[in-house]
Amino acid sequence: MATQDEPLYPIAILIDELKNEDIQLRLNSIRRLSTIARALGEERTRKELIPFLSENNDDDDEVLLAMAEELGVFIPYVGGLEYASVLLPPLETLCTVEETCVRDKAVESLCRIGAQMKESDLVDFFIPLVKRLAAGEWFTARVSSCGLFHIAYSSASDLLKTELRSIYSQLCQDDMPMVRRSAASSLGKFAATVDANHLKTDIMSTFDDLTQDDQDSVRLLAVEGCAALGKLLEPQDCVAYILPVIVNFSQDKSWRVRYMVANQLYELCEAVGPEPTRVDLVPAYVRLLRDNEAEVRIAASGKVTKFCRILNTQLSIQHILPCVKELSSDSSQHVRSALASVIMGMAPVLGKDATIDQLLPIFLSLLKDEFPDVRLNIISKLDQVNQVIGIDLLSQSLLPAIVELAEDRHWRVRLAIIEYIPLLSSQLGVRFFDDKLGALCMQWLEDKVFSIREAAANNLKRLAEEFGPDWSMQHIVPQVLDKISNSHYLYRMTILHAISLLAPVMGPEITCNKLLPVVLASSKDRVPNIKFNVAKVLQSLIPIVSQTVVEQTIRPCLTDLSEDPDVDVRYFASQALYDCNKVVMCS
Amino acid sequence: MSLDLDVQIEQLKRCEPLTEAEVKALCLKAMEILVEESNVQRVDAPVTICGDIHGQFYDMKELFKVGGDCPKTNYLFLGDFVDRGFYSVETFLLLLALKVRYPDRITLIRGNHESRQITQVYGFYDECLRKYGSVNVWRYCTDIFDYLSLSALIDNRVFSVHGGLSPNINTLDQIRIIDRKQEVPHDGGMCDLLWSDPEDVVDGWGISPRGAGFLFGGNVVSSFNRVNNIDYICRAHQLVMEGYKWMFNNQIVTVWSAPNYCYRCGNVAAILELDDDLNKRFRVFDAAPQESRGVPAKKPAPDYFL
Repeated sequence: MATQDEPLYPIAILIDELKNEDIQLRLNSIRRLSTIARALGEERTRKELIPFLSENNDDDDEVLLAMAEELGVFIPYVGGLEYASVLLPPLETLCTVEETCVRDKAVESLCRIGAQMKESDLVDFFIPLVKRLAAGEWFTARVSSCGLFHIAYSSASDLLKTELRSIYSQLCQDDMPMVRRSAASSLGKFAATVDANHLKTDIMSTFDDLTQDDQDSVRLLAVEGCAALGKLLEPQDCVAYILPVIVNFSQDKSWRVRYMVANQLYELCEAVGPEPTRVDLVPAYVRLLRDNEAEVRIAASGKVTKFCRILNTQLSIQHILPCVKELSSDSSQHVRSALASVIMGMAPVLGKDATIDQLLPIFLSLLKDEFPDVRLNIISKLDQVNQVIGIDLLSQSLLPAIVELAEDRHWRVRLAIIEYIPLLSSQLGVRFFDDKLGALCMQWLEDKVFSIREAAANNLKRLAEEFGPDWSMQHIVPQVLDKISNSHYLYRMTILHAISLLAPVMGPEITCNKLLPVVLASSKDRVPNIKFNVAKVLQSLIPIVSQTVVEQTIRPCLTDLSEDPDVDVRYFASQALYDCNKVVMCS
Repeated sequence: MSLDLDVQIEQLKRCEPLTEAEVKALCLKAMEILVEESNVQRVDAPVTICGDIHGQFYDMKELFKVGGDCPKTNYLFLGDFVDRGFYSVETFLLLLALKVRYPDRITLIRGNHESRQITQVYGFYDECLRKYGSVNVWRYCTDIFDYLSLSALIDNRVFSVHGGLSPNINTLDQIRIIDRKQEVPHDGGMCDLLWSDPEDVVDGWGISPRGAGFLFGGNVVSSFNRVNNIDYICRAHQLVMEGYKWMFNNQIVTVWSAPNYCYRCGNVAAILELDDDLNKRFRVFDAAPQESRGVPAKKPAPDYFL
């Protein structure tokens, strides 16, 4: 079934290149394996190509990786599902090589093929393959076998199922930690295919072994297993089997395991349900929040709000809030930053009174944190608190925090606070904006850094959208237009940019009466850069104003500019004139 | 034509190199423009002056974020676009493409690294070979280097050059008569302009530890500025930790635009903004944060045995 677009001659080369000395050529050839197979036809692919690949497997890892990937989608080229089993031998060999990523890819491809195979073929070919790998002498085969059980298991007979479970349990106790790690990370997938009875007996005892493994790298993979198994078990079984494990893990001697618990905490709570969470997991969580290791505290702090949502208000105030207070002055800035990114969400959980009494002092202290990220994180979530207690209580402390961020010496911090200004304005209201934030917004237009000036112009547009043209005419437009007389051309350019952004929001009348005259005056600027930006701005105004204005005001100005001595001014003026002409043609 | 070029500029801004054929065409167009420029290229204020870049592409993007995009902002680059950094190809091609698209908005002058000999030692040659599998792109680019101007004069008042002064050169007119279209010589006026350094302790001229060019003292600068009726000299060529450094009573300034030079020096970078009336504002900036840098593409090793 060779397609006609690739002639036969290159095929011979491709096959030849599979044996070439140059790795790049072999790699190319493997990548085009399906082309070769199509040219050979299904039968010769089965009888010649696949055996050839099975024998040529001591190649470079890069070539083997490509081969493992290609074989995963090779069923159509060997004659369909009926012949899928011929693909197993080369992949089985690839499952035993030393390089991990080759093995992983081979396992992935085997799973893909196994998922499509007929049940009888699974029993005849796939399950024996899994058993061979699991009994492999070299650990690589056993590592690979763990990822295949979930495909093999369901089609096996009861007797065979018992055998497979017992093999898996042996893998979980293998001498090599690499094998046990692989068994631990695949346990969830395998357990999902096992029926409830055996789940509670065989699988849980296997899991138990893993949770007591002497290698922390195995135990931390078992933490993930907690969440996966928890979803499969009945609630009461979950409490009986999983909960004690989680509590133990939260006191594990290895911080990596404790970190994993902190990181997975929400999933674990979901697995055991709200009531056991309240009773048993609160003390565990409190321990994690007070862990010696900063990494653990960072992970735990980030879950404060989600965790409190599972608890009730009283428990949150009683147990979690004291920890939160401590964390707000933690010695690690990353802990404080993680806390600041979620703590505002606690307000709806705690309710108005508790928020004012307990949370507000914490917000205020984080707003004064020496680390800008902490302050920014608080400000970015302001709306969540506003809904609960209103903004007035915070606004006095907000302003100094905003001003300090607005003048931070790192321009990316300034950029971050500008992004929040529309949110802040909508939360704080128009009056607060007029009094306090307005001056800042104007100041950014004359920032030292181009990106800030650009963001400042964009911010004005968003404010105009938020508060409307009337307000903008009073509080934005005159102040902006004043700055067109700045002696530095880059600042004048910012103003032109701001005008082009404001015009669509302000509408045709204000654009013609207020904005356009300033743009036209700038066409007489002595700096060519200003003049060609005038041309660009005029071009952007064409769709906004009436055709009369285009013809009587914009076109004459552009015509002047199109005769400027500077080539760039002429170019952009002619581009804009082209748009003027299009308008005429359309009308 | 300008539309193709606009597409190429956008592509280069994403740090994706052009094809070999595109580089060849771009270099031909650049040659037509550069051949017309004087050895002392006239530049009008306002303009922003930038020092060494050395293939630090993402830091150059940071420079544009601070200084503004070309053509909105006018730029004068003082050479040393290539070598040492990971992205000499993309850095130089982006600047060259901007030069071809907006010849009046950006000026590029030659640094000591814009040379066949130096680029074979400090990385540009190997980078071209690795990225294209052949040295043709290196040949096109080094041929263009020969056409780059040697210095610039802003509004007749600020003299800009990569390295510094030469005992063979007293007046700007002596620079103007150099035949620059050649590989950087090992000595003589053209070599010194690209290699020399100002030095505090030297009175008059001293031997340079670099093995090319000279060290020159404050009195040399004073007399050069007086004879040629200029306010001060702006040059690059030397790493300064603070990004810029005045010397000799504000008669010469060094501007350095490669932050965290060689990805390890820990210095900040600077550009010098001259406004409409030549008022000076230095803009200091840090290296681009890690998350805004692309991952260096894993390219196959050069195949020397082809």
